Order: sequence, then C-alpha cells, then structure tokens
Amino acid sequence: MSRDHILVGLEIGTSKICVVVGDSKPDGSIKILGVGQAPSRGVRKGEIVDFDTAQKCVHEALVDAEEKSDVMIQSVYLGVTGSHIASFNNRGMVAIPEEQEEITDADCDSVRASAREVSIPSQNMFIHSILQHYYIDGQEGVLNPVGMLGRKLEADFHIIHGIGTRVKNAVRCVKEIPLEVEDVVFTPLAAAQVVLNQHQKNLGALAIDIGGGTTDYLMYIDGAVRQSGSLGIGGDHITNDISMGLRIPMARAEKLKNEEGSVMLGMSLPGETVTLKDDSGFAGKEVERETLNTIIHMRVRETFELLRRQLEAGGDLHLLGAGIFITGGTSLLRGIDDLAQEIFELPVHITHAQTMSGLTSAFENPQFSTAIGLIKYAQAVQMDRPSSWLSKFIPIFGRRR
Amino acid sequence: MIEINHKQQIVSQATEQVLIKVVGIGGAGLNVIDRIVLDGVVPGADLVVMNTDVQSLTSSVASQKIQLGRGVTRGLGAGGDPDIGLAAADEAQDDIRKALEGASLIFLCVGLGGGTGSGAAPLVTGIARENGALVVVLATVPFTFEGKRRTAQAGDALNALQATADAVICFDNDLMGEAVSPKAGIHQAFAAADETISQCVRAVAGLFTQPGILHIGFDDLCAALRPASGGAGRCLFGYGEADGDNRAHEALARALRNPLMDRGRMLDESHNVLVNIAGGPDMTLNEVQMLMEDFAKHTGDETQILFGASVDPGLTGRIGVTVISSSAIAISSGAAAPAFVPRVVPTAVPAPKVSIPAPREPVEAEEPSPAAPEPEDVAAAADPEPALVAATAADEDEDEGQQASLIPAEVRPAAPPRVPRAPRQPRILSATTDPQPAAPAARREERQETLQFEPVTRGRFEKSEPTIVDGQDLDVPTFLRRNMKVS
Repeated sequence: MSRDHILVGLEIGTSKICVVVGDSKPDGSIKILGVGQAPSRGVRKGEIVDFDTAQKCVHEALVDAEEKSDVMIQSVYLGVTGSHIASFNNRGMVAIPEEQEEITDADCDSVRASAREVSIPSQNMFIHSILQHYYIDGQEGVLNPVGMLGRKLEADFHIIHGIGTRVKNAVRCVKEIPLEVEDVVFTPLAAAQVVLNQHQKNLGALAIDIGGGTTDYLMYIDGAVRQSGSLGIGGDHITNDISMGLRIPMARAEKLKNEEGSVMLGMSLPGETVTLKDDSGFAGKEVERETLNTIIHMRVRETFELLRRQLEAGGDLHLLGAGIFITGGTSLLRGIDDLAQEIFELPVHITHAQTMSGLTSAFENPQFSTAIGLIKYAQAVQMDRPSSWLSKFIPIFGRRR
Repeated sequence: MIEINHKQQIVSQATEQVLIKVVGIGGAGLNVIDRIVLDGVVPGADLVVMNTDVQSLTSSVASQKIQLGRGVTRGLGAGGDPDIGLAAADEAQDDIRKALEGASLIFLCVGLGGGTGSGAAPLVTGIARENGALVVVLATVPFTFEGKRRTAQAGDALNALQATADAVICFDNDLMGEAVSPKAGIHQAFAAADETISQCVRAVAGLFTQPGILHIGFDDLCAALRPASGGAGRCLFGYGEADGDNRAHEALARALRNPLMDRGRMLDESHNVLVNIAGGPDMTLNEVQMLMEDFAKHTGDETQILFGASVDPGLTGRIGVTVISSSAIAISSGAAAPAFVPRVVPTAVPAPKVSIPAPREPVEAEEPSPAAPEPEDVAAAADPEPALVAATAADEDEDEGQQASLIPAEVRPAAPPRVPRAPRQPRILSATTDPQPAAPAARREERQETLQFEPVTRGRFEKSEPTIVDGQDLDVPTFLRRNMKVS
C-alpha cells in the first residue's frame, strides 16, 4: 500500500479527538481502515485552551488509530473550528490583456487574488477561498474558463477567515507531536463533503454540524458554497445547563442527557420522573422528565433560532431545495430533527457519512462525519482529476499555502 | 449616576463655542486634576482647584487655586466632616463665583465620602449653575474598605448633587480598583481611578469641542447616561486608544477592557449607548464600519447606539473610542457596587428638608433602631412589624451574593445629610441602624421584576471566552436568561 493513498483526518473536538485513517482508491472511493479516538481535554468551544493536555489527548488518539489501522501516520489533514471563524462572499475581477488570446490558469489565479483584496481584521488569516462561479465578460455560469476567449474574467468566491494565531495554535499542537499538517480545513466544509452528495448540493442544502463545543454550518446553493460559519454553542452547553438547572455534576448531566434527554416537550406523562442512578447503580435523586426536557429544549431552540437569524440575514434560506442535514454528536439527541423542522420550516435529516466502504460502525456514526469528511476533502485535493466533482476546489485549496 | 434637571436643558443649546472649566474639589478632586495635567491638558479648558487643605493646594499644578474655609478650617482639612466642608465652601462663595465666571461647560471632579468634597461639591454646583453653565459632575464613591460611614456620606452628597447638577457621572472606586493587580500598592488603585476620570473628562470635553463628522450633542450624552428603567444608574465608561494595523479592533477592545465595562457584558443591560470614534484624518470608513460591527455584538437588539465620529489632527495614526452608558442599579450582578438607590427609596429626599431630632444617634446606640423615631419610618408605618420585614428582606438578599452586604449602603442615604453629627460611634451605629425597615422593603418590591432564581453564573464556561451574540452571554443557561422556572 503506497503511502500516497493513505489519508488521515484529525479533528480536535471539544468532547473527543478523532483520527480517521482511510485508503483512497484510484476509482475515487475511500475505504476506512481505522478510527482512533480519545476523550478530549483542554479544548473549549472547539479551540485549544490547555496546550499540553490537548497535545497528550491528540497523541493518545493517534496511537489508537495507528494500532487499529496498522498504518504509520506521518501527516494529517487538520480540522479547525471556533466562533472566531467568519466568512463572506466577494467577487474578484481581472482584465485580460488585448494581445492575449485565451484565458489561462494564471488569470484564474489572479482573479482569486483579487477576490482576496478585501479588508479582514489584520489579525485574521484566510483559511479558504472557495470558488462559486466564473463570469466572462458578464456571462454567467462558466465552470472552467481556461481556454475560453474573453476580455474580462470575474469570479465569485466564498472566503472563510479566522484569527491567525488561534488556527496556528492547533497546527502547532499537531506539529510538535511531531506530525506533518498537510492542510487545515474548516470543519463544516469537511463534514459537508460526506453528508451531502452532489445532487443535494445542487438543489441547495445546509449542513449543520453540532459538536460538543460549537455548532458549525455550511450552506450550498447551486452547487457552490454560499454561507458558512461557526457558533460557539454545542452539546457542552446543554450539559452545562442541565448540570446547573438540576444541580448535578457535569458527568452525571452528560449521562442523563445522552440516556434520557429529549428536545421535544409534552411527550412525557405529567409527573413522570427519571431516576438518577449513582455510580454503584443505586437509585438516587428523582428528576421530572419534563424539567429535563425543558432545559434541553430551550437551549437547542435558542441555538436554532440564532442560526436561522444568521442565515436569514444572508437571504438564501428559501433556496434550500434539499433541506437541512444535521450531523455531529449532538445530532443524536432525541427529537432534534423535529425541532429543527419546526424552526426552519424545511425538511430536516439526521445524517452521517455516506459513500464509504470499510468500517461500517465508523461512518454510520454522525460523530465521525467531520473526520471522515477530512479524508474525502484530502482525496479531492490529492487526486487532481479534472472531471472530479470537486475539481473546482483543487486549485484553490491545493495552492492555498 | 445621573439625573437631569429638565429646567436647565435650554442652556445646552449654547455649547457649540464653549469655555470649559475643569474643577477639582477636595483631595480626590485635586488628584484628578493633577492626573489630567499629567495626561495632557484638555484643549481650551481652565483648571481650577478648591480645597480646605492649604498644603495640598500649594502642591497642585492647576492654574487657579481657591482656598476654602479660611476662617473655618484655617488651612487644615475638613476632617472628613461634610458639614465643615459645606461651611468652608460657604465662606469662599465669592471666590468660587469669580473663578467659575464665564464658563459654559464645567466639569466638577470630586471624590465623595470625605469632608471637603462631599460638603462643598453641591454648593459649588449650585453656584456654577447660577452663572448659566452646564455642570457635569464626575464623582467617585469610596472603596468599600473605606468604611460604611464614608459610603453613607458619599450617598448623601450624591443625592444633593443629583438635585443640582445637569449630569452626574458616578464612578465606582471598587470597580475601578479591580483593574489594578492585587499586589499593587493602594496608591495605584487610586491612581487607576483618577486615570479613568481623567480619560472621561477629556473624552466628554472632546465630544463638544472637536469638530464632529457625526456630531454628538449634550442631549445624546444625557440620553446615554439615563438608565433604561429610569431612576439612578451606574456609569459605564470605557476609553481606548490604539495605533497600528489593527487599531480599530484594539481601540474597542481596550475601551471594553475598562473594568467599569466588565468586558462589554454590562452593555447588554443598557438602553442607550454613546459611542464616539475619534481619529486622525487617516481614519477610514472601513475601520469605523468594522469597529461598529464589532461593537454591535455586545449590545442587544433594542439598544440605541448614539454614534459619533470626529476627526482630530492630533490623533493622526491613532483611533480613540469612547463608550458611555449607564446601567440601572437594581441589577443583581455580582459586581461589588456600593449601590445607592436615591430615587427609589422614598425616604431619600434632598438634604435640607430633613430635620431630625438631635438625640437620634445616642438613642440608637442604646436600643434597637425601629424604636427610634425617624421620619423615614412613616413610609413603613403601615407595617406592623417593621423589624421583621427588614430581617426577612435581608435574609432573602443573601442569595444575591454581595448585595446583602450592600444594604447598609443603600439605607444610609436616608439619614439626614447636613445635621450636625454626634461624635462618631461607628461600630455601634452601623450595628443598630442598618436594618431600617423602609428601604429594604421598598427595594424588595422594586426588584421583583428582575428577580433571579440564582446568581447568574456560567458554570463550566466560567473562565472561558464568552460567546456573546446580540449582547447576550450565551454561556449562561438559556432557561436562566429567560427566567424560566425549572424544578
């Protein structure tokens, strides 16, 4: 197995660190060889707050992945997130010189550079600029302008940027292990590669990745990334709310959320209670089920409402033909799809990575969507196949750094 | 804290071409003036200092100096007694009037709680107003560690000032002291307070004197200083200046870092926020835009942002951001504010109206307070057991964190301000007079609406960077923020 085909995705999440090792086949399919994970410490809201502890956890997860997949990991694609990451759309323009016959690759590069000539806070760095559409002399919908004739080349880009030092901290954490970082990828972009198929992207789809510390989203309209972002609220907040509302420890609250929690109200009998078991299995405090669900409901509802407001500001919500696809660990919460449907008034699906082979248990778990997505993304970058559905990303990502 | 006297609003029309005087009264006032000189004089402003203590007057660097109470104190201090301070100022009335003549905008810097500042400031304010000047008082209330007596004296003076001045900006020394590292000396804590006030004077003076692209007037300032609920408010002030590539972002961050701002968290509660951006001719629209977008994250949807921008050639290469607002005092935040509620406590009437039987204090020192005949008790007369009410109110307050300990401070303004005081008996006094029935009862009622089930905390996220969207701290559980009752 040549090393070139082994791809590794590393996600440093708030609740767990996840390493997925995959084998990229020449026909474009991916086989998952192994998944390593370790509970995460020293990470809050998707960002590293305790460097040494987080590094230890990353190391643990890597060792786990190496054992399970029987592969020496040398380089990874690193997922980054955090509420500091922001995005916008911008159009770049270049004039083609008179004496030049046709549009070249170099012109495509310079149009991308011109799209980046916008002011972002000086501490921020560009993470991605994703091509949406080309225009030649005002003509819309050009997919590949190279070789065509024209005087003015324009292109719309979706630009994702974040605070440079924070992104570099994550990179440094991995590099000190030591491991090579091939590229950093904004996590919802990775997750969207595996939870959405091309058809859904064309129809218009919104991928929401609700993790432990953040809720990340990415919206495709007409096959192009239109909006993306990250909200610093996640499953941790739900657990924290429960812990504070019911006055129980975080660990107990986490367990209660996973085993008994639901976001739907009015589904329990009046006065129905849940018994909190202590570590030895004896019955302890009783909690009214409706109370528990109310706490969860309020937090999740608020998160969705915030998200809806942000997306509405972009004005594309009505263009979502395929609907909303929720993934990430918190998507396992009971009833979350019904609530999302109620708030967004769109079809909602809970989904996980599709179109993979190998460890079924790995890709059918929404918790691993992002890490698997990193591999899919890496494959698209490495397999420079012109006809690939992801080909239009390649020049952008490949030459980013 | 702020109170607007509407009768005098007309005066504010004439503030376009203004002669500004910055007046420091008392020891603390002098320190502020010195600090203002150190930081660079406010353009076009005269500095005047007044004190009873000749020694500190001579060491002051101000251009005009007035000795108060030549005959009363004979060049010594007022000994922490506001009555002496008042008498001293009364004696020097003519000098004061002369010194303030012709000014149309007067900043009065005063440290409340002591003798000269607390006693003289209301009188000076009155004299300044006679001349038709607009008077903005910047007052500090003492640190908690300075004792309850001083806090009470400060409360009295503040009441009087609010009745006379056009605007009162009240600075909380406790909050300002938080900016200083625990190991720093006490002089640094006071210096930090002086510096904040100095910045505030310069910033507010700048609002009126610098040519504004988007001009901010006195009415905007008054609006920003008026808390949403009406009544008394605590001033939120922040000023930040920065240069370099990222100056817009940095300047705002610095302004919000001011301890009075509590990292911008306080802004959520305020109704009107005044933001003024000053910069050199090289300031770009883009910077302003980015800064305001940043700022908007800290405020709620309903908050009105009073925005101003001005160009000051002296600031070339730099950007300065001023944020002024106020928050109502009844909010049960954990901040250690010696909160005064002069407007809501029914007994807090302007000083001269209260006349009190002379033997009051000795009586109280011997027996429990409810027995002492106080005019305030009329308010609670309907209550058969005032002491009980006070006790339960105090009990309930204990849930509110530090608020319980603040009750004495709130109660004290009810005490008659200008009545000659008996020799001090601080410990006995505070032990017996604290649970006055009227004020806690009124306070409890007033707090009904904002009653929290428990102190607002962020649990696991206590120490992490807050997620603030639309001025709400999303780390605080949703059900707590919406005051939903659980379990």
